Amino acid sequence: MSETNIDIVKQGLEKRYGAEKRFRIYGVCAIAASLIFLAFLFISIGTNAYTAFQQTFIRLSVYFDPEILGDTTNKESLASANFPAVVKQSLLKMFPEVQSRSEKKQLTSLISSGASYYVRDMFIENPALVGETVQVWLPADDDVDMLIKGHVERGVEEGERRLNNNQLGWIEKLEKDGNIEKRFNKIFFTTGDSREPELAGIFGAVSGSFFTMIVTLLFSFPIGVAAAIYLEEFAKKNRWTDIIEVNINNLAAVPSIVFGLLGLAVFLNFFGMPRSAPLVGGLVMTLMTLPVIIIASRAALKSVPPSIREAALGVGASQMQMVFHHVLPLALPGMLTGAIIGMARALGETAPLLMIGMVAFIVDVPSGFTDPATALPVQIFLWADSPERGFLEKTSAAIMVLLTFLIAMNALAVILRKKFEKRW
Amino acid sequence: MKGKKIFAGLGVAAALTFGAITFNSNAIADSARDYISVVGSSTVYPFATVVAEQFGKTAGFKTPKIESTGTGGGMKLFCGGVGVQHPDIANASRRMKKSECEMCDKNGVKDILEVKIGYDGIVLGASKKSSAMNITRKELFLALAANVPEPGGAESVVPNPYKTWKDINPSLPANKIEVLGPPPTSGTRDAFVELVMEVGGSEFAWIKALEKADKDKFKSICHTIREDGAYIEAGENDNLIVQKLDANPSAFGIFGFSFLDQNGDKIQGTPVEGVVPTFEAIADGKYSVSRPLYFYVKKAHVDVIPGMKEYLKEFASEKAWGEDGYLSEKGLIPMPDDERKSFSKDVQTLKNLSCGDL
Amino acid sequence: MIIEKERAELENKREFISKKEPLVSRENRKTVGHPIVENPRMTCRNVNVYYGDKHAIHDVTLDIGRNEVIAMIGPSGCGKSTFLRCLNRMNDTIDFCRITGAISLDGKNIYDKDVDVVPLRAQVGMVFQKPNPFPKSIYDNVAYGPKIHGLVQNRVETDEIVETSLKKAGLWEEVKDRLNQPGTSLSGGQQQRLCIARTIAVGPEVILMDEPCSALDPIATARIEDLIDELKENFSIAIVTHSMQQASRVSQRTAYFHLGDLIEVGSTDQVFLNPLHQLTEDYVTGRFG
Ligand SMILES: Nc1ncnc2c1ncn2[C@@H]1O[C@H](COP(=O)(O)OP(=O)(O)OP(=O)(O)O)[C@@H](O)[C@H]1O
Ligand SMILES: [Mg+2]
Repeated sequence: MSETNIDIVKQGLEKRYGAEKRFRIYGVCAIAASLIFLAFLFISIGTNAYTAFQQTFIRLSVYFDPEILGDTTNKESLASANFPAVVKQSLLKMFPEVQSRSEKKQLTSLISSGASYYVRDMFIENPALVGETVQVWLPADDDVDMLIKGHVERGVEEGERRLNNNQLGWIEKLEKDGNIEKRFNKIFFTTGDSREPELAGIFGAVSGSFFTMIVTLLFSFPIGVAAAIYLEEFAKKNRWTDIIEVNINNLAAVPSIVFGLLGLAVFLNFFGMPRSAPLVGGLVMTLMTLPVIIIASRAALKSVPPSIREAALGVGASQMQMVFHHVLPLALPGMLTGAIIGMARALGETAPLLMIGMVAFIVDVPSGFTDPATALPVQIFLWADSPERGFLEKTSAAIMVLLTFLIAMNALAVILRKKFEKRW
Repeated sequence: MKGKKIFAGLGVAAALTFGAITFNSNAIADSARDYISVVGSSTVYPFATVVAEQFGKTAGFKTPKIESTGTGGGMKLFCGGVGVQHPDIANASRRMKKSECEMCDKNGVKDILEVKIGYDGIVLGASKKSSAMNITRKELFLALAANVPEPGGAESVVPNPYKTWKDINPSLPANKIEVLGPPPTSGTRDAFVELVMEVGGSEFAWIKALEKADKDKFKSICHTIREDGAYIEAGENDNLIVQKLDANPSAFGIFGFSFLDQNGDKIQGTPVEGVVPTFEAIADGKYSVSRPLYFYVKKAHVDVIPGMKEYLKEFASEKAWGEDGYLSEKGLIPMPDDERKSFSKDVQTLKNLSCGDL
Repeated sequence: MIIEKERAELENKREFISKKEPLVSRENRKTVGHPIVENPRMTCRNVNVYYGDKHAIHDVTLDIGRNEVIAMIGPSGCGKSTFLRCLNRMNDTIDFCRITGAISLDGKNIYDKDVDVVPLRAQVGMVFQKPNPFPKSIYDNVAYGPKIHGLVQNRVETDEIVETSLKKAGLWEEVKDRLNQPGTSLSGGQQQRLCIARTIAVGPEVILMDEPCSALDPIATARIEDLIDELKENFSIAIVTHSMQQASRVSQRTAYFHLGDLIEVGSTDQVFLNPLHQLTEDYVTGRFG
């Protein structure tokens, strides 16, 4: 009996479904693997980071001793008023048994060297405090912070700890009296960099990144989109446009440090723009993201169906009207996605910033495009390189902040795409 | 039509910013910078930043901006010229080279103040979990050089045959040689090569003789570190080395003393020639692997950039670089009293450095 | 059903008409019939079209009369669309497309250097094979052309032109309550009528239609055919179609293309019932194509 076609088809079916099933399994495995890596990344960074969102504080009864402060009526003398002594005095009062000079020094080192700034600010806000006693929570030193958070073993030998037995004893007493406490670390989100981990914050770097990204967006998006539109819709296809296209594709693959060198040569040396400024950082990032945006925008323009173009031309729209009234709105979601992906890449970039001086220790939070600034990834890099143990968790926390921004930007890309696509 | 509006809006915004920017940058180039700009060594960075922060919070000036560019990169920027677009101070983890001084001179940076700030020890660290091992610089040279003197005693080099420490010296443990260290771009590596490898190599009389006779050969023997896996380049990040040592007790790591200081509960310093790297041992010069740290000041800027004098004063104050100063808390090894005094005087008088002295 | 009946009638008619002359042989590619009319709207003289090296249209001479519907038929790939697109310079958008010869609208060569394509395309509108409304509201679809050409000054005028255009296209009753809905939400036939409304809103003199009914069902097709019949009162219409029944129903003249050559032009009845050229006969009787 000879086989009919349908028999042959049926025989092959099993094999075909098998192939399909295997492919699905591969797919699920691939996705599972990437999810596992992602989860691993988040968990490992997250577990390191979450403690950075808290900070150990010590409660002191600060007595604004008029004798120590001296004349507080005018600004000049207030600037030189000895607030550190006020803080130290308050701490020493809690432990009257501490008498020797070296012990006093050990005791006062439990409180952050920056605590006096907070007391000073408090006083400047309310000069009537002179002669008064106030209860204040002040940040503890990073060594204390690490100990309280359990990052440092209390059990190891005295010589190997950064805190000696005396200091441990005092900390335990403070703990017993409820005068030491972990609280939400507002400092981390509101200040710039510092060499003291307990005073270091991410806000300076976030602002720097923000200004840099604004400049990048303002330049790279219009220029990129205009270039893409010109190349795709207006330029005659000839050898020159081919050369340009090849070059743009090449640029997209050039290592980012090269753009840093270019920025150094052009913006700093030739135009004489200031070093370490978000403006220059943004311009360098513009150079870097431009090819990405041009390529994405051209792809978006290409994907607009030709029937729409013909329809527009058919009713007598000019080339320009066709592009701006019909093609661009349809291509915009794709362009925005490209722009945001390019920006996200720029947000995570440090190498080009090194060349233009944005890898730097900058304490003051930048307030404009020409103030010296760093960026988020640079801050991560700098903290990761600091010897103090306290910066370890700060590094992870900064990575979390950066990841949050990246996720937010990519989510924005998805939302924008959805929004524009849904219109019709 | 919406597309057009967005596009036009962005275009206008870009044009405006560009206008504002060109205007601004001109304004900046013309007017004086109101903060101090510091560049240079990543080894000095942790100390300079502490001073800068202290200065910024108390002196009433803006906080200086400190870039970590490496010593060589910093010198290049520093010697670029006089004017607000050039940095005011360069940090260095070694003395300025004569060639650098001459480059400065050529670019109009004629008057330079040199300030030594203290010392930094280079430490061969290991995990606390391992038992301490006493080592000499000669042994380190034999363990890490790419080519070592022929073990039989002939005056020639062979590719490094040593696999374990015991191979070098029978009294050392039979552990595999495994040293994590910085890459050639790092200042710590430069210092290590100079302070350990050159000295260790010079223990062999014929190599020492080469230093005079054939400098290139001497350098190629002493400066070339093996690449067969015994020496692992761990990147510029000293923290990473510390973490890796914790995970691998049989390995050693090369890094700055401040990292040992901050991680004393996890890492121990290996004694070199019997001297444990401690604060005191480095300070009084007993521990041999240490180097001086410097910064260089462009004198032409001292009266132009606000706060320069005050910053120098802060740096050269006892409360900063003194025995109990805050820099020592960060791991800087202070200079002896008389050396401090002499440099502090230099700061006051803005003593001029002449290239001939280098 | 209707179409079946028409076909039968057509076959009957053909039987009765006696052939006066022998047919022109297949090898002869010179245009036969009457390509030239009196007082034409558009004239095409010795038009050649090349796509790069490919010679797609050979030396075509053809007139389009006033208030007439001219059908263009022929096997697939013979160059009907190409020729039609020459009439409003739609081929300009293809970089490697080159055109020689002369095409005039009301006596003015549209390929002259000083002719602007934008007003030209307002005068010679086009309806495409696949309905292609803009991804905008029904209202905006129709209002777009008048707006960009400045034919309307205010909302009232726009409303008026939208309404009359949609009425002329026979779509008004169906969409008057949902003018703000997207044009793409309409059915295929409605979309095609919307495209026609969009074209006539600009007030062209000539409308080019490239297989406007190929994506539509017989009922929608019938509506559009009725529409074409009405439109010819005001416009000249050139329509490409693969349906000979459609050609015979809507057109007064028919042009038969074959492999880039214009083979025969004549009154629709004559071309279908009494073709002069062997190739035409082969095609209309279904022996070819
Ligand atoms: N854009 C183009 N590039 C190159 N060749 C083309 C292009 N458009 C059409 N052609 C060629 O020109 C010839 C005529 O094509 P045209 O589209 O005019 O045929 P048609 O008669 O409309 O066919 P159909 O009935 O299938 O629509 C064909 O051989 C086709 O391959
Ligand atoms: Mg066609």
